[in-house]
Amino acid sequence: MTKSKLTEIRWHGRGGQGAVTSAELVAQAAIGEGKYAQAFPSFSPERRGAPVMAFNRINPDEPIRTRAEVDQPDVVLIMDPNLLSILDATSGLKEGGTVIINTKKSVEQVRKDFGISARLALVDANTIAQETLGVLIVNTTMIGAMIKATGVISSESIKEPFEKRFGRLAERNIKALERAVEETKIGEWLEMAKAKTKEKPGTKGELSWKEIEIGCFITKPGNSVEIKTGDWKSRRPEFDFDKCNKCTLCYFFCPEGCIAKTKDGYFEADLFYCKGCGICATECPKDAITMVEEAK
Amino acid sequence: MTKREGLEVSIAVADAAMLSDVDVVSAYPITPQTHIVEHLAELVANGELKAAYIPVESEHSAMSACLGASAIGARTFTATASQGLELMHEVLYVASAMRFPIVMAVANRALSAPISIWGDHSDVMATRDVGWIQIFVENGQEAVDNVICAFRMGEDKRVLLPVMIHLDGFVLTHVIEPIELPDKKDVDRFLPPFKYPLPLDPEKPVTMGAFGQPFIYTEVKWAQEINLEKSKDVILEVWQEFGKAFGRQYSPIEQYQTDGAKVLLLTMGSYSETAMVAVDKMRNDGKEVGLLKLRLWRPFPYEELRESIKSAEILIVLDRAISFGGPGGPVCSEVKAALYGGEKQPKVVGFVGGLGGRDITMSGFEEMINRGIEIARTGSKREFEIYGVRE
Repeated sequence: MTKSKLTEIRWHGRGGQGAVTSAELVAQAAIGEGKYAQAFPSFSPERRGAPVMAFNRINPDEPIRTRAEVDQPDVVLIMDPNLLSILDATSGLKEGGTVIINTKKSVEQVRKDFGISARLALVDANTIAQETLGVLIVNTTMIGAMIKATGVISSESIKEPFEKRFGRLAERNIKALERAVEETKIGEWLEMAKAKTKEKPGTKGELSWKEIEIGCFITKPGNSVEIKTGDWKSRRPEFDFDKCNKCTLCYFFCPEGCIAKTKDGYFEADLFYCKGCGICATECPKDAITMVEEAK
Repeated sequence: MTKREGLEVSIAVADAAMLSDVDVVSAYPITPQTHIVEHLAELVANGELKAAYIPVESEHSAMSACLGASAIGARTFTATASQGLELMHEVLYVASAMRFPIVMAVANRALSAPISIWGDHSDVMATRDVGWIQIFVENGQEAVDNVICAFRMGEDKRVLLPVMIHLDGFVLTHVIEPIELPDKKDVDRFLPPFKYPLPLDPEKPVTMGAFGQPFIYTEVKWAQEINLEKSKDVILEVWQEFGKAFGRQYSPIEQYQTDGAKVLLLTMGSYSETAMVAVDKMRNDGKEVGLLKLRLWRPFPYEELRESIKSAEILIVLDRAISFGGPGGPVCSEVKAALYGGEKQPKVVGFVGGLGGRDITMSGFEEMINRGIEIARTGSKREFEIYGVRE
């Protein structure tokens, strides 16, 4: 089989995590190397915390014509490990393709927990980002993991786009990226892994044109209660009732309206809907709410 | 017993809406539609018509108010023209996509600039693709009859679509002519009360006009297209029923003097009547000329068109609008497209004329037909010609 020189990359992140920026920087680095490249987001309403996708195509020799979303990637990046429980990371992955995950787990553990037998590249991007940048923004760290796992662009060529984008913060981001290049662990492609050509998440079981209600009306309105927006969060609030003075501020400030009174008069968030925005923790005058990492 | 009365067509159109028991009228006055909505306001104010008349600040709002009214299941009527139709343009798409059977009389008028209050079909053609059923009438009686039919067509459960009735500004709206207004009880029998299947109702809530993501939008649009295509069967059925009940029969393409006609002229709206006179004269002179009157503009009557041109060698199409920089008038290019690839194809010659209220007289039609025959034989340097322009 002659291998195409085209590399197709699919980024899975959450709104606000920088998946789109990552894709853009990677494309700029590739273009800077004289290659042809493309970066674009999955066009949709922007919602902080909601699962989002971004895409890259890189070809060293030929212009890229396809503008469709990447449905058969060579590389999949998972910026938030919690996404693994709500989407199929390996959907459409080409044979020999790589899944790069931000996780503290070992290769064996990821294989066991998520049944991924494809080639793996794992990096604890949260720790690196926190220690190097002081904030939990992992996009530049994930680029480092990708450079290590694929070599599709070089660590050198990413520097200029970083400088243009981040200015004085570029240096720290380069440091985070370089640390990721060093620390990323690779688990090779297992023979049992087969390329899957499954549909994209969200396109299964949808209505045919014959089944659509008059005027595309929704006869079961208010069905947003069924949407588990709790899937969007990377951090969750923990309520310390010993500190709580029942002032109700968290209840009033919660933009999701998911905080409710317990029978003892304290307050708690419904984690099915809580998006982990942290407003309750910021507003709490008694520091009774702490945001903790969702990642298990 | 109904009797023929001398009525201004606008007044008769408003009366037809009253006979149809409209519940809500929302409109903004614009020449030459004004008399229609003024008369409706008068009827409501006098208590003759038990309906809500919603005065608004623009046509955009008029159509928006109609959406709301129709959404609760009210029988809704409005009228507009020209710039007014264009101002409500984006809302027209919502009405058809949300399947609200609003009926609207359009007093066809030219578009600015320069300002012209007079008739042509530029306003209609700009709303060609909005998903409404669109019917052209050529006299006051047809306007009355088709307003009544429009409610029954649009409200049919198999259809649920808004309907535009196109009547030429001034040439129809402001003319007094004999019109037979049907008896109220006959209209009641013909037009059952409107019952929208999924109205806005606090007891049984529905969400209307929600977000359509890429995974569903194509299906929604295809369902809409198939629905509009299939509405033709119901339109034919309603015209049949109307014919039985009232003795006046309508069809998507009406043929006049077409037997053995080698040359056909195709027109729409009020100019069809003048063209009939011209065809009569040419027939008397021994010329094998006939007339096709395109009444149903949307859904486009493909089969009927193909059927009606079978014996013709030349088909001359008159458009009362220009598709600037395009292949000719919108009607002519659609007719050409409908005939393309058919077994028997006449030579199609396109004219644009009657713009901004410019009359085409009987002899004018004769001249146009003769020029059309000449072009069909010798060709023209242009894709289409304009009739009556000063060099």
